[in-house]
Amino acid sequence: MRNSAAKEIKAYCEEYSDGFLIAGDAGFGVWEDFQKELPSQYINPGINEQATIGLASGMALSGHKVFYYNIIPFVLMRCYEQVRVDVCYANLPIVLIGIGSGITYAPAGMTHYSVEDITLAKTMPNLNIISPSDPIQVKKALEYAIESQNPTYIRISRSGEPTLFEENIDITQPTYIKNGNSKVIVFHGSIVDEVIKASEELVDVALISFAIIAPLDEEQTKKILQEYATVYVVEEHFSEGGLGTILSDFAMLHSIDVKIEKIAIKNHYIHKIGSCNYLRKEFGIDASSIVKRVNNG
Amino acid sequence: MLKEKAKNIRKNILRIAHSSKGPHTGTALSCVDILSVLYFDTLNIASFDDENRDIFILSKGHGAMALYATLYEKEYLSKSDFFSYYQDSGSLPAHLDKETSEAIEISSGSLGHGLPQALGFAYSKKLKNLESKVYVLMGDGETQEGSIWEAAMLAPKMNLDNLVVFIDRNNLQGYGRPSELVSFEPIDEKFQSFNWDVYRVDGHDVDAIKKAIDSPSEKPKMIICDTIKGKGVSFMEDEMKWHYFIVTDEFLAEGLEELESRDEK
Repeated sequence: MRNSAAKEIKAYCEEYSDGFLIAGDAGFGVWEDFQKELPSQYINPGINEQATIGLASGMALSGHKVFYYNIIPFVLMRCYEQVRVDVCYANLPIVLIGIGSGITYAPAGMTHYSVEDITLAKTMPNLNIISPSDPIQVKKALEYAIESQNPTYIRISRSGEPTLFEENIDITQPTYIKNGNSKVIVFHGSIVDEVIKASEELVDVALISFAIIAPLDEEQTKKILQEYATVYVVEEHFSEGGLGTILSDFAMLHSIDVKIEKIAIKNHYIHKIGSCNYLRKEFGIDASSIVKRVNNG
Repeated sequence: MLKEKAKNIRKNILRIAHSSKGPHTGTALSCVDILSVLYFDTLNIASFDDENRDIFILSKGHGAMALYATLYEKEYLSKSDFFSYYQDSGSLPAHLDKETSEAIEISSGSLGHGLPQALGFAYSKKLKNLESKVYVLMGDGETQEGSIWEAAMLAPKMNLDNLVVFIDRNNLQGYGRPSELVSFEPIDEKFQSFNWDVYRVDGHDVDAIKKAIDSPSEKPKMIICDTIKGKGVSFMEDEMKWHYFIVTDEFLAEGLEELESRDEK
C-alpha cells in the first residue's frame, strides 16, 4: 500500500509543479526514486514533527499541494496541535499520509502503534479520514485527497496487501464485498485479511468496506444501518473512538434502531509482545474470533 | 512619521483594551515600535493576492491588539471591524484567526507556531525565486516552546536568508520573568550557535530596528529587541499585572493623556 501511495504522489508531482513531498525522516525504500527524479519537490526536514507540520502549512499557504509522509504517531500525535491549528483551523488541503495503522508494526511496541488515531482525527471537523484496505483504495484515497479542498488524513498499514477492489470503485461510498441478508460486517483498513477470511466461513453475512470514515456518505450509511438489525464493526483500532463509535453516534443522531457490535481492540496500553497476527488473536480481532462473535451474536 | 504612527497605534490599543475589558495590554504595547517599522517602512504588500508580497506573521498571538491597531492605522482594517474587537458577534478575536482578514496571514495564539510556518513561506519563496521576505514577531517567553528550537535548527540548513525574526524581549511572561524561569540568556549566543545572523537592538528605537532589518545577511536573521512591557504608559511599564489588568475609564484617560504629553516633550 505504501508503494501505491508513493506511485500516486510521484505521478501528481511529475504532472503538477505545485506538488511537494515532505517525508519526516521516514520512507526508506519508498522515496528513493522520487528524491532522484524530483529533488526540488522533496524535503526530509529531519525528526522535528511540530516544525515540519508548520513548514507544511506555510508551504500550503504559499500555494503548494503538500503531501506529508511519516509513521502515524508522528503525523497526528506528536504534532496534534500543529495539525489542529496550522492545518485544520486554516483548512489547508494538505494530505497527511500515516503509515503503520493499527498494530501492523507489531512487535514495535505501543509508541509505534496507531490504535487511537481515528479518535484523534475525528476531533478535527474538516479533516477527511480515509482508512484504505488495498492498493486500489489507496490510489482512490489519494485521488480524493488531491481533489478535496479540505485536509485529508490517510492511514495505511505497514506494507504490501493484495489487491481486492476493482479499479472503478467509488471510494466515497461504502463498498459491498459480499452480499448477505442476516447480518453485516463493516470494516476498514488493515484488518481486511482477517475479515475476508472470516467471511468465507460465515453464511448469509454481508461484508462492507468503509474506507472513508469522514465524511460519511450519509445516505448509504443510513441505508446500511436501517437494513440490518445488528451491524458488526471490525477494526484494528481501539473499540472506543473508532468507526464503531462513529456509527453508534450516527445511529443515535438519526434515530436508527440498530445494534452495533464492536469487534476491536479494547482501549488499553499494549504491553503484550508478539507479531501482528499473534496480537490480533490475543485481542480477539483475528478471523476465528470474528466468526465466533458474529455466529454467537 | 514612525513615532506618530506608533503613538496612534498605542492609543488605539488602549481604546480597544478599554472597550473590550480584556487582557494583554502590556504585551501589545511592547511590540508597537517593531510593528510600526515593519508596516510603515519595511513591508512591501501591494496586494494580498500577490505571491511576491512580504509576509508578516505575528507568532505571539496574544499581542493581537497591537497587530489590529497597526492594520487599522494602515487602513487594512475598517473602523467598525477594529472597534468590534472582543465584542459579541464582533470581527476580531483576542488571538489571531486568519479568517478575519486577508491581512492576517496565519492564526496564532498557541505559542511556537509562527516560526515553523514562516519557514514554509520562506522556503516556497526560494523555490519560486521570489525576492520578497518573511518576517516573524515572537515573544521572549515563546522561545521556551520546543517547536521554536526545531525551526531554529532547521532554518539555516534550508538557507533561508529571506527570513527575519524578531523577539520582543520584554522579559515578562504570563507568570514570571523568562530570564528567571528558564535558562533564557544569552539568547543571542544561542541563536548564533545555531548559525543565525543575530542582532540585538533597543526595541523602541525605530532607527536601530530599521538598521538591523536593512543589514545585508546571508543567513536567517534574528533581531532580539529589548523592550519594555507596557511601553508608553508609565504605570503599565514592566508590570506583570498588565498582562491581565483591565483598562478602566480612569486608566484609559490617564494612559491617553500620557501618550499625548510624552510626544510633546
